[in-house]
Amino acid sequence: MSVIEPFGGFGLGLRRTHYDDFLSAPDGPRVPVDFVEVISENYMIDGGRQMRILEEVREQFPVIIHGVSMSIGSAGGLDTDYLTKLKRLEQRIDPLWVSDHLCWTRNSAHNSHDLLPMPLTEEALSAVCSNIDRAQNALGRAMLFENPSSYLTFPEDELSEWEFLAEMTRRTGCYLLLDVNNIYVSAANHGFSAMDYLKGLPLDRVRQIHLAGHDPATPERDIIIDTHDRAVADGVWDLYATAIAMLPQPVATMIERDDHIPPLPELLSELDCARGIADAALVPA
Amino acid sequence: MSLAERQEAFLNAILDDAAPLPKGWGNSQAAGMAVYRGNYRHAVISALAETYERTALYLGEAGFRQASINQAIAHPPSGWTIDAAGEGFDGTCAKLFAKNPEVAELAWLEWSMLELATAPDTAPMSAQDFGAAAADFGDEEWGALRLTLQPRATARLVDHDLTALWQALGQEGAERPELQLPEPQTCLVWREGERPTFILVEADHAAAFAAMQSGATYTDMIGALIGEDAEPTPEVIQNAAMRAGAILGCWLQEGVVVGLT
Ligand SMILES: [Fe+2]
Repeated sequence: MSVIEPFGGFGLGLRRTHYDDFLSAPDGPRVPVDFVEVISENYMIDGGRQMRILEEVREQFPVIIHGVSMSIGSAGGLDTDYLTKLKRLEQRIDPLWVSDHLCWTRNSAHNSHDLLPMPLTEEALSAVCSNIDRAQNALGRAMLFENPSSYLTFPEDELSEWEFLAEMTRRTGCYLLLDVNNIYVSAANHGFSAMDYLKGLPLDRVRQIHLAGHDPATPERDIIIDTHDRAVADGVWDLYATAIAMLPQPVATMIERDDHIPPLPELLSELDCARGIADAALVPA
Repeated sequence: MSLAERQEAFLNAILDDAAPLPKGWGNSQAAGMAVYRGNYRHAVISALAETYERTALYLGEAGFRQASINQAIAHPPSGWTIDAAGEGFDGTCAKLFAKNPEVAELAWLEWSMLELATAPDTAPMSAQDFGAAAADFGDEEWGALRLTLQPRATARLVDHDLTALWQALGQEGAERPELQLPEPQTCLVWREGERPTFILVEADHAAAFAAMQSGATYTDMIGALIGEDAEPTPEVIQNAAMRAGAILGCWLQEGVVVGLT
């Protein structure tokens, strides 16, 4: 599979509420980001305003296309129509890279529109790998897959999530999108060590980092929920600093906010926080 | 159990609160499943609320929530785009609010506009361009004329004043208008540049539009305007031909026609 060269920088997800910020004043100051990430499915369309805006944004910034519906873990395989439309978008936008999640979202009849957890078994691993092979062949390029957050683990699990990801990467040549918040959330929900997780991954395959906020556990609910609706938590920033110090190459860091989306300056200042932490983490002790 | 069977059982448990949890599951899995069930319902309801903004305003929170839950049960999403969760919502509303058929008409309109928003980009054919192209048409060419209409443009008969309703719902605190139309009209929905839009026009547009959209010739369109009449008088034919001309003029004016063959 093709090689994805490291790209170091800081970016944001492009959300509808911020279209005007990204498009205003073509000669004026540019939004200070190194790239933007878009949700692929929102642009796997024929035309219209949304597509035109993405094409205009693409003229100013490198774009990453990040999917939520490939369902790479589906036992029944991938959806051909989906792959065709994704390929068309990839050709239209020429993105930095194309990513999705290690999860499944649907069976042959229904779609949950949620990132559902994979049983961590050898059978699941081979299903995921053959789906990744198919997707990467269809796109003609290697992809990134993101570690999910999850709210349950299965009694039948045979591998840890990091072992699963490491083996998946080795077998398919795919790369990793490390969601630091997801590691934090799942480590707390399932009682594993975030440090073991990081140490167990092939860190040289990481090309991107996601940071996001979550809804902490409460006295009534001891599960942390990955909500992307608030600022990044302190514990996630600490884990980000640790991860950055461990990574052998530069990566693209971004903040995901999907709900209660604040004005752009608020997200930009949170992104500055990430820049500061990354700079500090890279200073030799 | 195979991976396929496990995924089947997992998804069934999400879609149906009453479905049994997979064998071997304990309390921690049950607690996790409760989160996935909540996420699913939230995703469907918020996708519908986004697509059917005005229908939601018209129905109010409780009514829209009830309709959303019915929709999630009647049409659990199957496509890869969450927008598709709203497909067939007008039908759900028609059943649920049988005494208020304007709800289903409004939902149909919002769905049609959503579909148009992402339709392929096309340039409308202007009346001048059409005139130039048809300048040398004889009777035969006119009769065989076919139109290419804007992709995903649509038209149907409605009994309610969707224009007034649309405007009222767009203004906070506006009075509810009188909705019942004295007679049915056609609601024609298309895209003006990047903006989906609609108008109410004479009832006979609906049949003409359906005919031309399915590839009929101009002669067939006149036939569709004559309707059931087995032996139309010359006057009936003449009137239908006049209406066909007026309808075509209207479509050209609004930018619904993108080409002719
Ligand atoms: Fe993420």
